[in-house]
Amino acid sequence: MSLKSRFDDVSRKRDALSEVPVNPTDVVIERVLSATEALIGGRRTIMAGTNNYLGLTFDPDCIAAGREALSEAGTGTTGSRMANGTYREHLELERELAVFFGTTHAMVFSTGYAANLGALAALLKPGDAVLIDSEAHASLYDGCRLSGADLFRFKHNDPASLSNRLRRLGDRASEALIVVEGLYSVRGDSAPLVEYAQVKEKYGGYLLVDEAHSLGIYGDHGRGLAEHLGVEPSVDFIVGTFSKSLGSIGGFCVSRHDELTLFRYSSRPYIFTASPCPSVIATTRVALRKLEDQSELRDKVWANAKQLYTALENLQLDLGPHLSPVIGIAFEDRVLSLACWQALLEAGVYTNLILPPAAPDGRSLIRCSVTAAHTPRQIDLIIDAFMAVCRQFGIGRDAA
Amino acid sequence: MTSGPDSKMECGDTAGELMELLRKTFDDPPQINPETNIVADLGLESIQVIEYLCEVEDHFDLVIDEEALADVQTITDLADVVEKLIHR
Repeated sequence: MSLKSRFDDVSRKRDALSEVPVNPTDVVIERVLSATEALIGGRRTIMAGTNNYLGLTFDPDCIAAGREALSEAGTGTTGSRMANGTYREHLELERELAVFFGTTHAMVFSTGYAANLGALAALLKPGDAVLIDSEAHASLYDGCRLSGADLFRFKHNDPASLSNRLRRLGDRASEALIVVEGLYSVRGDSAPLVEYAQVKEKYGGYLLVDEAHSLGIYGDHGRGLAEHLGVEPSVDFIVGTFSKSLGSIGGFCVSRHDELTLFRYSSRPYIFTASPCPSVIATTRVALRKLEDQSELRDKVWANAKQLYTALENLQLDLGPHLSPVIGIAFEDRVLSLACWQALLEAGVYTNLILPPAAPDGRSLIRCSVTAAHTPRQIDLIIDAFMAVCRQFGIGRDAA
Repeated sequence: MTSGPDSKMECGDTAGELMELLRKTFDDPPQINPETNIVADLGLESIQVIEYLCEVEDHFDLVIDEEALADVQTITDLADVVEKLIHR
């Protein structure tokens, strides 16, 4: 296959999407109006497909901190952490993350993707065994693959499947790394971390949990699903991102294992990229404090999640198994999912359309997410839009 | 690639068992033969392939490293991988 012809399949798929009035991969946000609204296609639109779970992107204190950092430290660091890119504020954020998670060590990366890539590639080496949930995020897979470790998948959210594979690994199980997420971002289902911890206890090995979508949402302090389920002592490494509940961009890895400090010398995705710019670090630090201190944000996002999930459940749509701020609605028919997504957008509600291979089960999904900043009235408007779509296309409780 | 301590399965008709497992992934099973290309001929999405491979691992009580599957296209290719693991 030639260099150019290998894009033929991608080109066909892109062209198929271009045949619909609005290509879901080409949506342009013309203007951001608030944490929950934007102008899309000239229309004021409720954003019900973001990862802004705590609604902090327009928090006045975060914005003020970012402005001050811009003025005092400039627009960017222009260098990597190993060279000229480590400012005092990077180290302070790392210290604050370690204190927040109750770990001894923390590392900040330039993106969440880089955190997963960097942590896994530093941790694993060829010949190691890594067991990964079949629906784990691409960045986790990419990190495992970059490491050269032997990669074994287990069935999504299935502790027995994990246990069987560890048993089959024999002596290798005691040094194997188990890689899972907290909250899965497509269907909104959460991992059985208690059961995974028990499996790890039985076979040994290490457990890495990506709390990208669960940070700020779960746990009394917002540390994520491991805190919520009381299994933090069983988790060896937590990775996550600043680009969701913390409203900025960047990623992190925290651990009680001293080896984490050595990642700084061996993690290529950490070393060979510019460090996060000062304004990003500044807004993230303020957001982290708010995430911990303002538990009412968690209360709000869960209240909104319950309002929307319950309404969509009553519409008899095919939802994920768990109530969470991420609500994935599955469709057997790809064309129908596209039409429904389009109708929602025309009604002033932006959601995410997720098509195979990104969607599980080979089905298509419309992904909704709620934030602490959504008002109950906005949630009602989202529900109204779904009710109209159900009537228009004869789906859910309006199915023939 | 690692086969578990309990891998006692004989490989008399590995390809046949793989085809039977593959048929079970379809509500309306298509024609499948040893030279069927698992992805190109059946139009499976990648997540469906992953689920199928998990079923294969459980059926034969072994684990298959992703790297071992790099050149697998047909049922025969997959049978070769499985049989090598069984006989390790």
